[in-house]
Amino acid sequence: MAAEWIPSVDRERPHLLKLPPWSEAGDPGHEVSDALLVAPSLRGAVTLLCGPWPLRPGDFRRVQELLAAASLSLWSVWCQEEGAKVAAASLGLVVDKPPPHQDLIAGQGGQRQQRNTALDASALSIHQGTVRSGDHPQATGSLLVLGDVNPGAQVSATGHVMVWGKLRGIAHAGRSGDRTAQIVALHLHPLQLRIADQVARGPEEPPPHGLAEKAHLVNESIQIDPADPSWPLGCVPAPRPGLSSGGQGTKLA
Amino acid sequence: MTPVTSAPARIILICSGKGGVGKTTLTANLGIALAKLGERTTVLDADFGLRNLDLLLGLENRIVYTAQDVLSETCRLEQALVKHKQQPNLSLLPAGNPRMLEWLTPEDMQKIVKLIAAQADYVLIDCPAGVEQGFKNAAMASQEAIVITTPEISAVRDADRVIGLLNTMNVAPVQLVLNRVRPKMVANQDMLAVESVTDILALPLLGLVVEDEQVIVATNRGEPLTLNGSATAAGKAYHNIAKRLRGEDVPLIDPSKERKGLRARLMNKLRQSGLF
Repeated sequence: MAAEWIPSVDRERPHLLKLPPWSEAGDPGHEVSDALLVAPSLRGAVTLLCGPWPLRPGDFRRVQELLAAASLSLWSVWCQEEGAKVAAASLGLVVDKPPPHQDLIAGQGGQRQQRNTALDASALSIHQGTVRSGDHPQATGSLLVLGDVNPGAQVSATGHVMVWGKLRGIAHAGRSGDRTAQIVALHLHPLQLRIADQVARGPEEPPPHGLAEKAHLVNESIQIDPADPSWPLGCVPAPRPGLSSGGQGTKLA
Repeated sequence: MTPVTSAPARIILICSGKGGVGKTTLTANLGIALAKLGERTTVLDADFGLRNLDLLLGLENRIVYTAQDVLSETCRLEQALVKHKQQPNLSLLPAGNPRMLEWLTPEDMQKIVKLIAAQADYVLIDCPAGVEQGFKNAAMASQEAIVITTPEISAVRDADRVIGLLNTMNVAPVQLVLNRVRPKMVANQDMLAVESVTDILALPLLGLVVEDEQVIVATNRGEPLTLNGSATAAGKAYHNIAKRLRGEDVPLIDPSKERKGLRARLMNKLRQSGLF
């Protein structure tokens, strides 16, 4: 039994690829390659619906390679197993956005959702673990890194970038032009900071110990200030239906 | 894709990313040290392009068959394995010729390692520098890894990249060896401190090896330090790494403190002898 395709009806949404019910002996690589054999000539982004499959980074990579060979790109995943979420996040995949057209998955007609939930800029992606040199997790919406961002690594998001650890690499907030985006870290000692289209070198001196700092745009230049204790909790609203989406970021509360 | 798990042996990759930080020296010394502790150890030279593990072990002139011959089944594994002269517990599977790089696949590597693992307690894989196919082949055949680095920012940066790649390849645990530490330079803040390196790499520290001229002498002789020169600082460090790898609790010695201790001990001795 191969994975099942649910092609996207319009160009803005990813195609869905649904893995069959999980079994111990199953191989996600086989399921996907089997599905590719029967796939109509699909192109573009794919969301992988993993269900309870306990996939690991190696498995996601394999799926990425298989899809890439067929001119498709794995853009996001939706999974129930915690380890799989972490694995996908570590590869920079968007995790756990509610599937864009849930009605199709349930197999019921119903009305299609008006909003493209998966591309909502106010969404929060979580990257668990250290981001090491050469890695580059990217998020649509805000990105929270639970770990350090090492020198040589880069993190970027269309919304805010928050690092619960030491930021020593490069961070880019507001990648698609949001000038209200901020970069916050418990230890802000980056090589370079980018907010929207502005670029700044990091400070030479290490930051004071135990003081979280934020970088934000003040008069077209990047400025570092002590982080606001109430931030970022107050300013990443949970996705609400009816909220306009797209390139716009969230406004500061 | 899956590493060999059915084998009873521990399959350990020794890698660094950057070249010249001491992968091959560590592999040779650790191999000897483990063999001395009674472990059946096989070292595999996965650096097909620039092989020199055989040189360090002084086994160059005994090589008849290589990994290539084992793969093409022109010989049995037992024929290709080169036993060490003084430490029969240690054997080497030499790398084939550099052209193997063109066709060797991860599956080939896994096949070789599986064969070796069936008759060893420890398999140490000497990884080539870089993060290209040679590294990937070796990493895919390994279960765990030791990343070796020196206290220089370029070596630390490369080690960080390698650790990230190992994490995505399901190689765990990954442990760290810090090589060529110069306590005096660290004390003068001319060299990265041990803490700065472990702070960035965030790995358990398996060992610290101080800079030691005897390593060069040993390399040129083809007799790893652990073979005879266990009294040297580096030789002792390699032995301690082997013990920690087996799970023994050997405290890590901070080289800067060790130095002070030595000087203090010498001074004490001089005082006691009544010279002062």
